[in-house]
Amino acid sequence: MSIILEVFIYLATGSFYWWWTQNLTVFALAPNLIFAAALCAAILAGPVKAVAWGFFLGLYADMLGASMFGGYALTYSLMAYAVYVLKRHFDMASPFSQLVAALVLSWACMLFYQALSLSFSSINPTGLKIFLVEPFLNALAVPVLFQVFYWFKRRTGVL
Amino acid sequence: MSREKDAANYAIVFFTAVSVLLLIFPASKLAHTARIAVSYSLYPSLHYGATYGHFVRNVPANFVSLLETDQENRALKDKVRQLELKLQNTAASTAENERLTREMRLSRALPWSGSWARIVGKTPADWYGSFFIDKGSEAGIAVNDTVLGMQDDRAGLAGRVLEVYPKFSKVLLLTNSAASAVCAIAPTGLEALVEGKGTWLLKVSYVPEEPGLSVGAELTTSPGGLLFPAGIFVGRVTKVYPRESFMNFITADVAPAVDVNTLKEVYVLRRNLPAEFSGPLQAEKK
Repeated sequence: MSIILEVFIYLATGSFYWWWTQNLTVFALAPNLIFAAALCAAILAGPVKAVAWGFFLGLYADMLGASMFGGYALTYSLMAYAVYVLKRHFDMASPFSQLVAALVLSWACMLFYQALSLSFSSINPTGLKIFLVEPFLNALAVPVLFQVFYWFKRRTGVL
Repeated sequence: MSREKDAANYAIVFFTAVSVLLLIFPASKLAHTARIAVSYSLYPSLHYGATYGHFVRNVPANFVSLLETDQENRALKDKVRQLELKLQNTAASTAENERLTREMRLSRALPWSGSWARIVGKTPADWYGSFFIDKGSEAGIAVNDTVLGMQDDRAGLAGRVLEVYPKFSKVLLLTNSAASAVCAIAPTGLEALVEGKGTWLLKVSYVPEEPGLSVGAELTTSPGGLLFPAGIFVGRVTKVYPRESFMNFITADVAPAVDVNTLKEVYVLRRNLPAEFSGPLQAEKK
């Protein structure tokens, strides 16, 4: 039952991100809810599940783009592992630490993905506008999404 | 704690290895299978979400447009009558044109045929790179079909179909850094390579300095390019860069014929290209 719910949350996250990017983008900008979901899952779940969530959400993000397949999967898997290490030293349950973590990890992920893209396909994937604005949108989205995921975890035991 | 740490280490090694394999061997069976498997996670949003969301979103607008449609319908009926007269004249001209083209063996171009599709998925991370349309192999879409957009009542080149799934397809935009097209520059007809930059602009390269590429020059797809039919409007030159001392060619910025930001529907032209042109991702996903 738990795995079905997790698949449901995974699909719901993807669908919600799709709906947001279809209807609520402003100047082609929107919070990266796939990244936010990967970060929230990494904070809430155990290490193995967190890395698996990062990997599969990354694959979803890879499918949405047209360049490297596997780039976001690698980036979000490593991010989930980094969060697992960070969790042992910092309290990631408070909104402020989530906000700071989202801001820092957004930039870290963008730079890592950019390095991957330049290495594997010689394409610079990140526009300046996205690089400057998206991390702040992510930082605002993560505490909200965390509460949603936390509610699911309490009610259904998933993650 | 140590057990948890071990599990975490095994997990990250496993998933990293899979990701790296996908990155290193993008055309392998593993990557192909993973793509197909993950494509199913796009179904709820891209197919069902787009279909039903469209109806829900448009309920208030539909009522107003129903009234407007009635008025338009009357006006259009008059227009249709006039156009039918014109069509009879045009049919004779077209037949003559086709006969002369065939007799003189002037062109390999065929009349365009295709279908309209709605854009149902565009991600900010790849805004100028790709988008999804709501038609797939079930509607006859194939890999490398040409995708046109309408802007100011004129069709322009938007890109080509990159991946096809049963109910939706992914379009590689011409503005993607990995996309390019062979174009002819008006009025000289000189051929040059137009490439995407990952931004809203295109770049035209390998243009000899002599013809004097000027701002405002119009670019259309060239008969020399195989991927796209000839004569499609690609864009206009907005800036010409001076020749570098060590280069034999000049480059220029091109404003694309189609603005991705305002595009809602596209027209997909059937190309029926030889099988060697299709990537490994086609059709097997049915």
